[in-house]
Amino acid sequence: MTDAKYFTTTKKGEIFELKSELNSDKKEKKKEAVKKVIASMTVGKDVSALFPDVVNCMQTDNLELKKLVYLYLMNYAKSQPDMAIMAVNTFVKDCEDPNPLIRALAVRTMGCIRVDKITEYLCEPLRKCLKDEDPYVRKTAAVCVAKLHDINAQLVEDQGFLDQLRDLLSDSNPMVVANAVAALSEINETSSSGQTLIEMNAQAVNKLLTALNECTEWGQVFILDSLANYTPKDDREAQSICERITPRLAHANAAVVLSAVKVLMKFMEMMGNDTEFVTSLTKKLAPPLVTLLSSEAETQYVALRNINLIVQKRPDILKQEMKVFFVKYNDPIYVKLEKLDIMIRLASQANIAQVLAELREYATEVDVDFVRKAVRAIGRCAIKVEQSAERCVSTLLDLIQTKVNYVVQEAIVVIKDIFRKYPNKYESIISTLCENLDTLDEPEARASMIWIIGEYAERIDNADELLESFLEGFHDENTQVQLQLLTAIVKLFLKRPTETQELVQQVLSLATQDSDNPDLRDRGFIYWRLLSTDPAAAKEVVLAEKPLISEETDLLEPTLLDELICHIGTLASVYHKPPSAFVEGKTAVRKQLPPRQNSVGSAEEASSGSPPAPGQPTDEQQPTVIPVADNLIGDLLSLDISAPSTYQAPIPSQPQPVANTAAMDLLGGGLDSLLSDTSAPAGITSAPPVSSSGLLGDIFGIGNVTPFYTPAKQVWLPAARGKGLEISGTFTRRNGQIYMEMTFSNKAMQAMTSFAIQFNKNSFGLSPAQSLQVQGPLQPNGSVDSSLPINTKGPVQKMEPLTNLQVAIKNNVDVFYFSCLVPLHVLCMEDGMMDKRVFLATWKDIPAQNEVQYTIENVNYTADQVSSKLQNNNIFTIAKRNVEGQDMLYQSLKLTNGIWVLAELKIQPGNINLILSLKSRAMEVASGVHQTFELILHN
Amino acid sequence: MGGLLSYFKSLLGSREMRILILGLDGAGKTTILYRLQVGEVVTTIPTIGFNVEQVTYKNLKFQVWDLGGQTSIRPYWRCYFSNTDAIIYVVDSIDRDRIGISKEELVSMLKEDELKKSILVVLANKQDIDGAMSVAEVHQALGLDALKSRTFQIFKTSAIKGEGLDEAMEWLSNALSNNK
Repeated sequence: MTDAKYFTTTKKGEIFELKSELNSDKKEKKKEAVKKVIASMTVGKDVSALFPDVVNCMQTDNLELKKLVYLYLMNYAKSQPDMAIMAVNTFVKDCEDPNPLIRALAVRTMGCIRVDKITEYLCEPLRKCLKDEDPYVRKTAAVCVAKLHDINAQLVEDQGFLDQLRDLLSDSNPMVVANAVAALSEINETSSSGQTLIEMNAQAVNKLLTALNECTEWGQVFILDSLANYTPKDDREAQSICERITPRLAHANAAVVLSAVKVLMKFMEMMGNDTEFVTSLTKKLAPPLVTLLSSEAETQYVALRNINLIVQKRPDILKQEMKVFFVKYNDPIYVKLEKLDIMIRLASQANIAQVLAELREYATEVDVDFVRKAVRAIGRCAIKVEQSAERCVSTLLDLIQTKVNYVVQEAIVVIKDIFRKYPNKYESIISTLCENLDTLDEPEARASMIWIIGEYAERIDNADELLESFLEGFHDENTQVQLQLLTAIVKLFLKRPTETQELVQQVLSLATQDSDNPDLRDRGFIYWRLLSTDPAAAKEVVLAEKPLISEETDLLEPTLLDELICHIGTLASVYHKPPSAFVEGKTAVRKQLPPRQNSVGSAEEASSGSPPAPGQPTDEQQPTVIPVADNLIGDLLSLDISAPSTYQAPIPSQPQPVANTAAMDLLGGGLDSLLSDTSAPAGITSAPPVSSSGLLGDIFGIGNVTPFYTPAKQVWLPAARGKGLEISGTFTRRNGQIYMEMTFSNKAMQAMTSFAIQFNKNSFGLSPAQSLQVQGPLQPNGSVDSSLPINTKGPVQKMEPLTNLQVAIKNNVDVFYFSCLVPLHVLCMEDGMMDKRVFLATWKDIPAQNEVQYTIENVNYTADQVSSKLQNNNIFTIAKRNVEGQDMLYQSLKLTNGIWVLAELKIQPGNINLILSLKSRAMEVASGVHQTFELILHN
Repeated sequence: MGGLLSYFKSLLGSREMRILILGLDGAGKTTILYRLQVGEVVTTIPTIGFNVEQVTYKNLKFQVWDLGGQTSIRPYWRCYFSNTDAIIYVVDSIDRDRIGISKEELVSMLKEDELKKSILVVLANKQDIDGAMSVAEVHQALGLDALKSRTFQIFKTSAIKGEGLDEAMEWLSNALSNNK
């Protein structure tokens, strides 16, 4: 007997009572006890001490009791991880229970028990349930796989549950399909690799579409969402999917409607805008969206946020539906504001009269925020629809006459924009504006008014007095008012130098001597110097013609808009932010609209899922976006000095001739080795032999007629997507080492530093052999070349297409992602020459179905020239034969991952088309190798 | 007259007897449980946790708990000790290597206060296999001589063939009835 007895729990109290009741013989008493335990648990009492006793009640025929015990288990298994193992056997048994309800209950509870130690025991029962004869059990098990994946992703993969889940996609029961889809997409989103698990093909899509019509509304949402991630092969497939989805638009559930809209919006992007199908689809999209607006306010708001995106992407859809966005008196304010926003986006010449009448009505409402936005909206209409400008201005004037303080202030702010848009047209109203000078108390309105006075100083007789009155309280003003005042007085001085000399000196000294604000001070000094050195130049700079402001306002940046379109019906579409901005740890690949099929981009590029080529939506006459009001003043001021919107990006670097690149490499290699010798002692071991032989190789390379073929650099990351950073690049191979040659160009306004690079998992395990070397900070308008050695020791994952490489580049601005294709010949090893006999044996050994034949057209070389050209790129000729006047070349190459490819090249004299037969044990590489032959022989 | 008395007794004292089947993993506990319950051999997998079944033998009702024998589960046996009327301790007679461990587990278990009054039945199982230890050997190896105050008996059994179980249950039900 030990002293342990002193530590055993007291035999008193509630817990003890419950304990003895739980161990009672009477079933009724037991059940009551478990109910009491659950009740305690629910109100937050700790009843985990009863764990073993409750678990002992688990094996019972009483379903009610079983459910209660399961409930307890889900709650406390985590706090009693060791003891939880006692429950395993019961789960195993329950998963084989004749009653499907119990089987499903067991598998559902299992998924909720997040205890590492027991998960492995639960795999077998789960596997059985995934194949259960009852669909209810299967659909529950499908979700359990997703839960298990969250606990232990590796286990799920190792146990082959993903394959089972994929099999469930073709289940006969639509609910099972829907749950399998839901589970797979959940796993997809959380998996770190970011690779899609659902290999969608036309067949799978077909099954999903069939299930779509039969499953519950939430199942439909899951199916539609996963369809949105599928990229159809061609127009016709997209069209047929769209046709089958369209009926969902009539669903009563808003989530189903929005998900269907998302799929349609995405797929429409693939089809030409002018096709009849798209036109008819555009018509069909309007009614469901309008219907959403008759639901309760919260749903309306979500719908409106989504419609806001849709209207920006495809204004045509709702252009006839202006009336539904008219504000109702009892709409909550958030709905009102959102409707107003959409109204302005839809405003056009056709409906402007109606819109203006409405807006005018709104401007007399009581809600301040709403009135302000309405007033601002009138201004935006004026800017957007030129024909209506006059009516808008007169409406604004009427509103100013009301003398309601905030209305006047808002009106003045927008009138400033109208002046910018239509110079020399409405200045007659300035006098009216000046009457209200004293009532302005908000910085934005004051700043706008001051801008107007300065800009039109020559027409306002007492401009100097007005500005002087502002000057009195200079130090109490908000910064933007101060800046504006400074500029306005300088303008005034340049226009009427004689009377205002004193004033300008006063403001300059206020700005430069008495202010702590560096912006204000610097601007003061600039004006001062300009005025003192060359007043004529000052006039030219300060009073320069200003660029017109554009009509579209508050547009989302096009790439962001495209991304958000892919997230219609999710929180991202309500926030108007990409998920990565608000979901923690969400770094998965950003979604993008599919590239348009009939665009120029080659078929490969489209299938690689690479981002839409630059010059698609972005270049379509992109309007300069008016920034949000706060920044406006600042921007207007800076426009006075220079006009950034007219800033022209430099022409991208020209592709260089091949020989030149070799010469450049000579320098580059030399510099690299120097640098690595001094700065990176760790690199010495590998660097010297490579670089010294690299020099030699390149020297010979210059003399050689056909050196290793390096494709011309292509733009991988256009500046528009790289926040001003443009990256173009190519791949090459020198002395057995693969290099990634990149040119970084800075087209932004600030210097860039701290570059780093990373590759995603890829088919050949490519990974950077050293860190990215970019010399010094990259100055605006500067560009720099960098050569990055690459090894093949990285993680391997098969990509589509095989040579696709996804790259992330980081600098001090952001992280950018792009993908590029690695030309296969840089992966050909120097030791790819096969022994003749081995070649012969291998050729015979590889079965005939592994042989593919291609025709390479338009090659004007002799067999020897072809052979030497290929040899330079590590495709070795092993034997040459002449058969009936035809030259047959037998060749071999070996890829970095050890895959051998054998080739037979048939060259007929007088025929410029070659016939290429390829044999390999891994036929996936065949088309890549064919392209490589094409590439080398045509360059 | 005695028969009548016991009849009433069985009516009044219809309390279920609580029996634990214990032993190292792979000794045949689950097989024995289902042999007792349904009278046939079922295919079993290692019990991670427990099984509990109602077994009726000669009008006596038993609630039989079969606990897993894995090392990781053995510490939790003690959670089941209270109110236990009898323990059926199953030994794999072919597993000479672990008979020592089996003994240790048995000895430490019998020290528990809660099991002071429990009757012990030791089953030297797997007697159908050649080379199995005899009852005497098992008796010796488990050190059963040292047991003084406990009502206990050892039987040779083969759960697969169903041999010896009847005798053991017969003895057990008698011992339990006498105990009352």
